[in-house]
Amino acid sequence: MRVFGPKELQTDIIEKGLCSGCGGCVDICPYFRSHRGKTAMLFPCTLEKGSCYAFCPKAEVDLDELSMRFFGRTFDGSPLGHHLSIQISRAGGRVSSPNFQAGGTVSALMAFALMKGIVEAAVLTDREKLLPLPRLVKDPSEVLRCASSKYSAAPTLSAFNRAVREGIDRIGVVATPCQALALAQLRSNPLQKADFKDPAALVVGLFCTWSLDFRAFKDYLAGKMDPSIIRKVDIPPPPAEIMEIYDDQGKREIPLAEVRQLVLPSCSFCLDMTAEFSDLSVGVLEGRPDLNTLIIRTERGMEIVSQARKEGFLFTEDLPEENLKHLAWAAANKKKRALVKIKAEGLFNTGDGRRAVLRFSDEAAGAILAGEDGK
Amino acid sequence: MTAGAKKRKEAPRLLMGNEAIARGALEAGIQIASGYPGTPSSEIIENLSRSAAERNIYVEWSTNEKVATEVAAAASFAGLRALCVMKQNGVNVASDFLLHLAHSGTRGGMVLVSCDDPGALSSVNEGDSRPFARILEVPLLEPGDFQEAKDMTKWAFELSEEIRNFVFLRSVTRMSHASGSVIIGDLPAETRRPAFRHKGSLLDPDNGPVISLFPGIPELKHGPQQEKLRRAADIFEKSPFNTYQGPEKPELLIVTSSACSLYSREAVHLLGLKDRVGILKMGTTWPLPPELVKRHLAGTDRILFVEEVMPFLEENVKILAAEAATDLGIKYFYGKKSGHIPSVGELNPDLVLSALRKILNLPSEKDPSDFLKKAESIAASAAPHRELTFCPGCPHRASYWSIHNAIELDGREGFVCGDIGCYTLGFLPCGFGTLKTIHSMGSGTGIAGGFGQIRRFAMNQPILAVCGDSTFFHAAIPALINAVHHRSPITVIVLDNRGTAMTGFQPHPGLAVSAMGEQAVDIDMAEICRALGARVEIRDPFDLEETQRTLNLMMEEAGGAQVLILRQACGLSPEKKGKKLFEVKVDESVCVGENCGCNRLCTRIFRCPGLLWDGQKKTARIDEVICAGCGVCAGICPSGAITKREAQA
Amino acid sequence: MTADPYNIIITGVGGQGNVLASRVLGNMLVRQGYEVTIGETFGATQRGGSVMSHLRIAKEGVWSPQIPRSRAHMIVSLEPAEAVRVLKDYGNEDVRILSNTRPVYPVSVIAGDVVYPPVEEIRSGVQALVPGARFIDATEEALKMGNPILSNIIMLGALSGFTPLPIRRSDFKAVISRFTPGDALDMNLRAFDKGRELMKKGKSKSVKRKQKSHGGKI
Ligand SMILES: Cc1cc2nc3c(=O)[nH]c(=O)nc-3n(C[C@H](O)[C@H](O)[C@H](O)COP(=O)(O)OP(=O)(O)OC[C@H]3O[C@@H](n4cnc5c(N)ncnc54)[C@H](O)[C@@H]3O)c2cc1C
Ligand code: SF4
Ligand code: SF4
Repeated sequence: MRVFGPKELQTDIIEKGLCSGCGGCVDICPYFRSHRGKTAMLFPCTLEKGSCYAFCPKAEVDLDELSMRFFGRTFDGSPLGHHLSIQISRAGGRVSSPNFQAGGTVSALMAFALMKGIVEAAVLTDREKLLPLPRLVKDPSEVLRCASSKYSAAPTLSAFNRAVREGIDRIGVVATPCQALALAQLRSNPLQKADFKDPAALVVGLFCTWSLDFRAFKDYLAGKMDPSIIRKVDIPPPPAEIMEIYDDQGKREIPLAEVRQLVLPSCSFCLDMTAEFSDLSVGVLEGRPDLNTLIIRTERGMEIVSQARKEGFLFTEDLPEENLKHLAWAAANKKKRALVKIKAEGLFNTGDGRRAVLRFSDEAAGAILAGEDGK
Repeated sequence: MTAGAKKRKEAPRLLMGNEAIARGALEAGIQIASGYPGTPSSEIIENLSRSAAERNIYVEWSTNEKVATEVAAAASFAGLRALCVMKQNGVNVASDFLLHLAHSGTRGGMVLVSCDDPGALSSVNEGDSRPFARILEVPLLEPGDFQEAKDMTKWAFELSEEIRNFVFLRSVTRMSHASGSVIIGDLPAETRRPAFRHKGSLLDPDNGPVISLFPGIPELKHGPQQEKLRRAADIFEKSPFNTYQGPEKPELLIVTSSACSLYSREAVHLLGLKDRVGILKMGTTWPLPPELVKRHLAGTDRILFVEEVMPFLEENVKILAAEAATDLGIKYFYGKKSGHIPSVGELNPDLVLSALRKILNLPSEKDPSDFLKKAESIAASAAPHRELTFCPGCPHRASYWSIHNAIELDGREGFVCGDIGCYTLGFLPCGFGTLKTIHSMGSGTGIAGGFGQIRRFAMNQPILAVCGDSTFFHAAIPALINAVHHRSPITVIVLDNRGTAMTGFQPHPGLAVSAMGEQAVDIDMAEICRALGARVEIRDPFDLEETQRTLNLMMEEAGGAQVLILRQACGLSPEKKGKKLFEVKVDESVCVGENCGCNRLCTRIFRCPGLLWDGQKKTARIDEVICAGCGVCAGICPSGAITKREAQA
Repeated sequence: MTADPYNIIITGVGGQGNVLASRVLGNMLVRQGYEVTIGETFGATQRGGSVMSHLRIAKEGVWSPQIPRSRAHMIVSLEPAEAVRVLKDYGNEDVRILSNTRPVYPVSVIAGDVVYPPVEEIRSGVQALVPGARFIDATEEALKMGNPILSNIIMLGALSGFTPLPIRRSDFKAVISRFTPGDALDMNLRAFDKGRELMKKGKSKSVKRKQKSHGGKI
């Protein structure tokens, strides 16, 4: 992995609008901070190699290297990434909350992991009014407070960085794909520190096709309603083409076409729909907003799922073939769209010392480009 | 030498130019003195305020220079002698009133002292106030040494009463802030009893109302005013403040004034030219006494003007020479126009030396000696440049830290408009380059107000202004009123460090004490702003997080003009100076230093002079001699390596 | 006095008490019957800039408040780098130098943009050029006395043993009591005496503390 410094991060990523606001570079040092969904560099830092650049999921990401590190093989571009099994799931009888975005799988797993001491603390994403806020949670009951999806970009990883600085060495984290990718880089010790130990004990990834620019989203809503009393935001499955917003007065519907205008530009550079660099990935089950799709990727993930199921924290069943096909189709589409875009911008596998967004083998790229397209 | 130096009964004292001016005013029997602080003028009022009780005079630091001249003028209208003091930029502020005053004339002697700062050694610009005398049509005096500074000030009051108009006395930094021997004179025993006589006719200069103009009939006031100026010129023909040194028919005549006369003398002395070059030192520089000048022009063909900033003498003498050209014939002039004297910056003996060498075709300066060359080469590495910075413990550093961070976090390319005070340095690294416009007192607020209005054309940048507490009262209030009234969406930050810190901690209307140390009404700036209808927040700039958070909220919510008062006393304020609030230490084992995770935030970016970088241990540490113990750096260290402990008293 | 006027430059950094030192010295010499002109630049005194006072000590007459280039007879520096800075503009073969050893680092040095050489290097450079140049640990002594600000007075005391000018303790006492509050008189006198003692003993021949270089990346 090629590692550069804060200057390159600023010019290549932040100034070019490639930053997804994941918080990977925030709270490592005093220079990068996140404010209302945007990452800002406060002062120039002169280091030639920095954690900030190394962790960034848009700066010189080597997917082959990461894939080798976590799954023992190079990146093949398959739609759903490396996995052991895919299931339907929801929270078991031991946990319940009206806040669950879908089946509550994510919250249930994290609460379980905390309770069992599998993780010491969990990095989650709460919100204050409309603004997503990273939170470091140590008490299982607090996990439920953070349930539900916040559809704008959150600097969730800043809380992870803070936890590391606090010296916590078994951290659980719920991460969107870009956050999970940043985390994967962090976990592979890119600056080769001698005393490094992987601090992540459980990574639960979220499916994600895009997230919104918080400031734009807030301004947009401000023209329509009081964003400070919003209780939940949801995107019902197609062909609805709407975003549903619940507040004290009930539900409002906003055309998705308008919302898509507020998507972060950096999302169009993201290949990953299912958070491939995680132990477990969770999304909504197509057509069943009260259930989740659960992808089990690692032995560690498999182990936790089976324990949680045994102890009544989780309920799972097999995923119908039809759902799987549709999921893979959607994921393959995202990959292809993003790769076309990255190549068009000249940011894929660049040579001559120029810095790239992404690197992986030409075979895998070929497979992606030859894959699904349209309906 | 000069007028007062004749009686040698008292031993000379070493007085600063400003002390000499203050003494001259006391000897003239002033009863009122007013001014606004500004380097290099401030010591005049400070000195007078120390004598106020003993001499039974009234001294004040006025809200601004215009008000100061109005206060002094009132005393003059009532028949008292009054002194008014400011730095050159202050004359610009006062000029509106002064133009009226010059028309109405004065009664008791009134002298306006402007201390100019050629080279802008401690100013934002090196403006020359002398042309104001020409614009205002009042007499101008310029002392050439310290004795003159005293004697001339005293005499200026007599002149003022003689012509019934105020007299302009101009000093410069190298006069005001230099010291030399002065033989002092007696102080008057009596004081005058004031009365404002206004019952006489409109045109009665002694007993009528004091009115500056009759609309449509300029002759009534402007005519007499010009007559006063002619009288002054007559008097100047015989003034002892205009001196000549040199041969009767010099090869070259230097025409000079002020500190430049001392540089000229030294240059002539060093070159051994006293039999070839004459020096006409003018003390009365406007209006120039025409006969005296012509007499000296007649004795030579070549004239060099040695003066700073504007070619004021040069132009005025040239006009006289042109008028008398039929008698005087052709003259060769050297000065700023010819390039022999630099047209910017202050002068010194060496610059005069090189002008003389060039004009008189003397062998040019030797190459720098071996010695100087060697010294130069040592200096190249051993005398690193000292860039200006805020003092250790300065609240401005903390304020700018938070302002800078708030703007960067906000991310919309917000900017700050600034003005004059210590905080002007905010455009430098010590203020993290935060200030983007700097002009006159209060203009940061006014300019911000204007930027605020153009946001309506889809400019999204947040707009901020800073002004000091003294500046707030001096000139920011009208600008703020304008911004509030027109709903300009700006955030004005008052850097309230509890005094006029830049010039030496003079009180201002926000404090409960006057120049004379008497009880005064402390005007609450927050209440003023609230009364205007502005949202007002008050924070302690040493609380960095809270200050930044507040600013971000204000920037996000800026609907109209709002005010954030950042209140923390200056590190040099009497209550803080020399006292450390905290013992501050760096824990070397915790300091991250140059590594990723800090990269020397405290020394490289925060740059308080109280911090040091130990290049061998690769950690930061505190310089106990310099650190003022404010403890702010403890709050910026990302690793908690800088710790503060309350200092034992 | 060998020259007339005799030109002294007192230099240092804002906040070191340079202006007080020059006023006190000037007034002491006035008491000895000299006519003294002092030029000062103190606009930026407290703001980290270099501060210089020019003293013209003459039998008679007012002199330019700025000493012409390369015509200083004596340079008193409250800070070692400032001694060098003044030397390059006002020095000459016959100049004498008395300097404090304690650096006040410019912020650009603190920030690491510029290097401040070890004091020993400055000292040897200066002494190579001006063999009689003296360096004394005025700030260290002042710290021992409890207040670093006294270093300017220690330097004045040291100057009394280093110049042909009549710099008398009695004049110092008379003048300093006009300039500082009463309770500081004793402290100031002790500082003055300490300076004289340092000069006499030549105690300051070597810089005892090991000097380090600060700032600058290595
Ligand atoms: C921006 C975004 C886009 C998504 N897009 C899709 C999609 O296209 N298709 C799909 O199937 N699923 C998507 N999801 C996932 C889906 O909304 C649910 O989060 C997922 O199904 C888990 O449901 P749950 O009931 O188990 O979650 P819950 O038990 O309610 O827990 C939700 C968890 O998500 C975390 N979280 C919330 N917002 C964020 C955020 N902005 N960044 C990081 N973590 C966050 C919280 O910490 C919480 O732990 C998206 C989620 C987000 C945040
Ligand atoms: S800010 Fe703190 S960690 Fe960084 S160099 Fe200074 S003392 Fe060390
Ligand atoms: S405590 Fe820190 S910020 Fe304050 S004066 Fe000392 S070194 Fe500077």
